[in-house]
Amino acid sequence: MASVSEMYDVGWEEMRDKLRKWREDNFRNSEQIVDVGEELICEHASKLGDDVWIIYEQVMIAALDCRRDDLALTCLQELRKQFPDSHRVKRLTGMRLEALERYEEANKHYDAILQEDPTNTAARKRKISILKAQGKSAEAIRELNEYLEHLCHYCCWKCQFILALFLETLCANILLYNFHSYGKAAFCLEELMMTNPHNHLYCEQYAEVKYTQGGLENLELSRKYFAQALRLNNRNMRALFGLYMSASHIAASPKVSAKVKKDNVKYAAWAASQINRAYKLAGRGTKENKCSVKAVEEMLESMQITMS
Amino acid sequence: MPIQLTSQAYCKMLLHAAKYPHCAVNGLLIAEKPKDKKKESQNHTVLCVDCVPLFHGTLALAPMLEVALTLIDTWCKENNYVISGYYQANERTKDSRLNQFAEKVAARISDNFNEAAIVMVDNSRLTISCFEPIVIIYDHHENKWKSREVTVDAFEDWHEAQKITSALLESRCYENLIDFDNHLDDLRNDWTNPVINKSVLDLC
Repeated sequence: MASVSEMYDVGWEEMRDKLRKWREDNFRNSEQIVDVGEELICEHASKLGDDVWIIYEQVMIAALDCRRDDLALTCLQELRKQFPDSHRVKRLTGMRLEALERYEEANKHYDAILQEDPTNTAARKRKISILKAQGKSAEAIRELNEYLEHLCHYCCWKCQFILALFLETLCANILLYNFHSYGKAAFCLEELMMTNPHNHLYCEQYAEVKYTQGGLENLELSRKYFAQALRLNNRNMRALFGLYMSASHIAASPKVSAKVKKDNVKYAAWAASQINRAYKLAGRGTKENKCSVKAVEEMLESMQITMS
Repeated sequence: MPIQLTSQAYCKMLLHAAKYPHCAVNGLLIAEKPKDKKKESQNHTVLCVDCVPLFHGTLALAPMLEVALTLIDTWCKENNYVISGYYQANERTKDSRLNQFAEKVAARISDNFNEAAIVMVDNSRLTISCFEPIVIIYDHHENKWKSREVTVDAFEDWHEAQKITSALLESRCYENLIDFDNHLDDLRNDWTNPVINKSVLDLC
């Protein structure tokens, strides 16, 4: 099989830079990381300088995703040699055990870290991930709640993590409309928005949760946050569609005043024109996309009928 | 009555699951619109000729799902298709249970199409060789969703489906699969997946 450098005509520096970009963007394209990283480590390790250690870590985690225990072990052993007492490496040892589904042993490693360093968030996150992997979502959420209560301030990953857990639990729940869970997801997003006011993604996700919770008040809140997300990033298509949908539903509601109805018809009309424009821009030139443009136009028109 | 899957529908479902192994994925099944209204109520197999991959990761939020359903419904009408079912692959490998979310979406689809079915992908049996069908099909009987045994009869041509899916998984074709989430990220991404459809046709 051809090497990565042969197939894509790249040198080792480009491969190293690519790995860095994937690290920074937090991509989980594990197959590609293994392909590029393995070659880089095997043939150019000496050229990487101190970068080699973080690359070993990145490749090891990707190797676990791809069931390449041979590669994962190689990386782990190099890291253990270099950093014998490190908690960070201990965590990686735990992750390998998790990948092999040896959860009891993994937990022992994490407990050992937490004994020496009770504030180690990475170890706590892994313990909760184990509960999640075992399908014990309710327990995982309980642990997270407890942990949150003991902290002085919220930090980003926890909120994102709880959010993801709650949203996932929603899918798996016996009761679909578990308002309790949507409420918690909304709470997490509120915290995230407070600490990251310029992040359009949090605004937009918050709006989606509110929309899903339903009811007129939530719909109006959802519309406001879709609009806010658009102000922060006017190319966020989800926010644009969301604005259209929420405004349309509000306008169609029998409970609103004539003024509110009129305003929302205006918002929806604006959103519709922006959506059409975005599709026309995207569809320029290709035959297939012209079909999409037409479908969107028709869809928007069909919703107009239900509004009036 | 019971649905049947073409190679194109089956393989795109699996490609979607393979593209996002760490996420839940879902999508819609598409059938040709029955020309005869009477045929719909007779014991007539519904052939799902295609599927549209929808989302990966968070599946349970309403607005984008509504947009997708409405948009794809409009597209179906233009092409003489109808949304005939819903598929889902859960996040965890060992979990292929039907959940209430899937039932809710399927109920919505049933409003427009009586014989809507739910297809759950059994992640634990997903392999490159695809030597056996790894889907569980649920039909709606007496207000409940009941699974039925999936044999080669659930496929228009199982050997073809198996051969094509295996070939596309092996060549990592799933990296180019577009779902509705990808489309929302960049409108130029085409959720009808013409490139993959062509690959399927080439292998037939």
